[in-house]
Amino acid sequence: MKKLWLIALTLCLFTTPLHAAPAASEPRAGLEGKVIEHTFKNGMKLLMVERHTSPTVAAWIRFRVGSVDERSDERGLAHMLEHMLFKGTKTLGTRDYAAEKPILDRIETTEQALIAEKARREKGDKARIAELEKQAAKLQAEAEKYVIKDEFFELYAKNGGVGYNAFTSRDGTTYLINLPSNKLELWAAIESDRMQNPVLREFYSERAVVMEERRRSTDADPESKLWETFVASSFLAHPYGQPTIGWMPEIENLTRTKAERFFHAYYGPQTAIVAIVGDINPKATIALVERYFGGIPAGGEPPPVTAVEPKQAGERRIELIAEAEPTLIMGFHKPAITAPDDYVLDVISMILGNGRTSRFHKDLVVEKQLATDVGVFDAPGSRYPGLFVIDANPRAPHTSQEVEEAILAELERLKSEPVAERDLQRILNKIEYEEARRMGTNGGLARNLTEYEATTGSWRYMIEYRRKVAAVTPADIQRVARQYFTRENRMVGFITKKGADLK
Amino acid sequence: MKRLILSIFVLIALAATSFAAGNGRANPRTMSFPPLRFDIPKAERVVLECGLPVYLLRDPELPIVNITAMVRTGSVYEPASLSGLAALTGSVMRSGGAGGLAPEQMDDELEFMASSVESGIGADMGTVSLTSLTKNFSRTLRIFADVLLRPDFSAKRVDIARKHLIEGLRRQNDDPKEIADREINRAIYAGHPLGNVPTLASANAITRQGMLDFHRRFFRVDNMILAVSGDFDQAAMLRELNAVFGKTAAHPATVLPEIPQPAAVFAPEVIYGYKDVNQSVIRMGHLGVTKDSPDIYALRILDYILGGSFTSRLTLEIRTNQGLAYNVDSRFDIGRRFTGSFIAETETKAGTTVKAISLMKDIIAGMTKEPVTDQELNAAKEYIINSFMFGFTSPASIVTQRARLEFYGYAPGYLENYRDNISRVTKADVLAAARRHLKPEAFKLVVVGDAAKFDKPLTVFGSVRELDLKPELEQGK
Repeated sequence: MKKLWLIALTLCLFTTPLHAAPAASEPRAGLEGKVIEHTFKNGMKLLMVERHTSPTVAAWIRFRVGSVDERSDERGLAHMLEHMLFKGTKTLGTRDYAAEKPILDRIETTEQALIAEKARREKGDKARIAELEKQAAKLQAEAEKYVIKDEFFELYAKNGGVGYNAFTSRDGTTYLINLPSNKLELWAAIESDRMQNPVLREFYSERAVVMEERRRSTDADPESKLWETFVASSFLAHPYGQPTIGWMPEIENLTRTKAERFFHAYYGPQTAIVAIVGDINPKATIALVERYFGGIPAGGEPPPVTAVEPKQAGERRIELIAEAEPTLIMGFHKPAITAPDDYVLDVISMILGNGRTSRFHKDLVVEKQLATDVGVFDAPGSRYPGLFVIDANPRAPHTSQEVEEAILAELERLKSEPVAERDLQRILNKIEYEEARRMGTNGGLARNLTEYEATTGSWRYMIEYRRKVAAVTPADIQRVARQYFTRENRMVGFITKKGADLK
Repeated sequence: MKRLILSIFVLIALAATSFAAGNGRANPRTMSFPPLRFDIPKAERVVLECGLPVYLLRDPELPIVNITAMVRTGSVYEPASLSGLAALTGSVMRSGGAGGLAPEQMDDELEFMASSVESGIGADMGTVSLTSLTKNFSRTLRIFADVLLRPDFSAKRVDIARKHLIEGLRRQNDDPKEIADREINRAIYAGHPLGNVPTLASANAITRQGMLDFHRRFFRVDNMILAVSGDFDQAAMLRELNAVFGKTAAHPATVLPEIPQPAAVFAPEVIYGYKDVNQSVIRMGHLGVTKDSPDIYALRILDYILGGSFTSRLTLEIRTNQGLAYNVDSRFDIGRRFTGSFIAETETKAGTTVKAISLMKDIIAGMTKEPVTDQELNAAKEYIINSFMFGFTSPASIVTQRARLEFYGYAPGYLENYRDNISRVTKADVLAAARRHLKPEAFKLVVVGDAAKFDKPLTVFGSVRELDLKPELEQGK
């Protein structure tokens, strides 16, 4: 059965088998001495780890700009822009930019007129809409003549690049590639060009692709649809509630002009964190990156999100009636990743939901047999206060309500009964193992370095993690459970099967 | 675990990088690179005292040991009336305790060490895997061997696993993509064990004794291969492996029944399932080839050009040019023991369903009409060859790949010759392979969605068989 946390994480440029994303919580003893840091004059941060297991290298660029940084009239833009940054530059992806540009500008004028006309809804002039659509199609066909389709991809692929992709979350946007280690300069050349000179050609056909992505990832899948509604209902004020992909009418109203403004405002060396892991010479790598990226001027930073979610003062229940079996989601508001209580909540998450010895598995799945699986994870982001989430699939004939009661009983137990020392030791042992395992792939390491550098301010979060977790006491767990797992702070979402006796 | 991603290559060793502009920055279109020679890493093959072959590769980078046992078994050996037996056996081998260690104790002991032992049985292979910190290896190995050879199948855990299977059946029609994936496979492999799916009746017919028997038939030392990698001392490792697997060869020798190949029948069919959704899930395909076909190299190239990359013909037209889909691809899944499949897939809004299907069929048919271009052929070769090394990025992937080649009986030199075999493929080979193996007129077509909103009725593709998506669990009421 599908895992909701996979849905919850991120949107990718295209589908790939989801390699299990490492849980958001583990460090590495040996990491300390292995990471080499360098900050360039324009603010770009470079993190490197040298590993010679294979002649390959993973290169990740994380921008500290995500959908949480969008304004309310441009939702979906960070993700849309992620797609558009694959469309080339003034010199790549085009046969002749000078000739192409005026056509792109005419397309933009036409599409904006189309949006304006459609915004009038029933008052809109249907004949004019048809005319504008015809004109847009004609211009698009004209522009096509200059396009070299997906040239970035073509260049990487012929050089043996694999896993070329990008993903957008509330917190940030990441571009990644794995290359044979002798090809790192290709990455530097393409990515530095993309950072300075992107051309958002083919915007409107790509917007249609994103609409299909939305239908596929959310609209046509009941669990995802419940998840989207659940998160949106959890945040009345904070933009974390808004889906990264955007609501359908918002996607329909995105324009190249808006995307360009968003790009020029925030995307540049000042918001970029680069991780290069693998068969490299760090000194030569710094020089290479300096040569290609060093001259890019720094731009602006997205302003911090000022919205603060008002304290929830009562349970909110979200129902989705769908052609699907029951699913239950429960959430509690919790602080951002660097808050001291967040480490305690991580420990609680592992006690409740990690592995076959976890309480939910032992109690709900094996003993009471109310559910087939119960998961615990954090969402929808880390930079700002988010949610502690529990999801479960009830096992018929047991109902969502029975599962809900059993979950609440386990949460109560955390408040009343101190956790055994052995349970805490098991968690520390697990972290020790994860620290070791984490070093085993270039991509996994690059992912963690960029993720923690971006969301916590330093990749050293991973190093300090075990120590912080080791300091968590049974009393801390009781206190935090009492503080957060309250009815006032609780969200509940569930699917009710269509056609049941609904009143 | 599905397949070997292999390709290879010849590195273009050019001298110095050519700089386009000043500042030492090169043009991505014309830049050249320092040479890089890639040799396939070797794993050592040793036979244990009991006759069990082991591939070993030591790499002390991380203080971790990995083992995978591959066992000749699979759901192809279960009767249709017991569909699900193999998968449940694979699951309860681990969850149901082993060697006298009760399930809760095993879970507790393994998780306290942060060790992992997991088991599973697929269509034509069973696996038991171990991962552990080096310091906990010996104890974890004992548990691994017990799960592999002496599972206890606790009655309670058998019952839970069966209940989960039944709950899965209740939920199997929730997600339109899951429905379409299942139904295209059933249609392609109709009449063959690979086309069977569990039912409420088969789930209820599975017994603990049935699992014990199924396990005992296949999980024997003459019927498996081990792959061992990570941080260990080779002599000590072999001592420990010999200690847990013993000196005795399996007796009598394991004999597996012959399972016939799927009948090579190519008959078109249109299958429709109703869901109240705004996007249709589309799958089409038919039987493919096995690894023993001489066309597999041409088909790898065909795959890349047709539907296996971001610049493939299907993606370029249906996604990039027309914006009809986010996901569109096609693939020959090359069968290792049994004939594989060719499947093309996409999802598109209800109102462009027939349009997208027609386009896909035309694009696929196009492969059988004209040769691919030189540019397409070269791009595919360069990618496959230059990315070959990514099949060998960890010691675990290297040894499991070696073990898998022996497991499925690949010809010696398969890996070593792979890149040469790819580089030898011609446009004529690709066209000939397409003509032999692509039959768009014989596609099984599966569409899940809301036909009332389609641009045209599915009957344009032939008479339509509608799926009954109400689970049998409710129909009895």
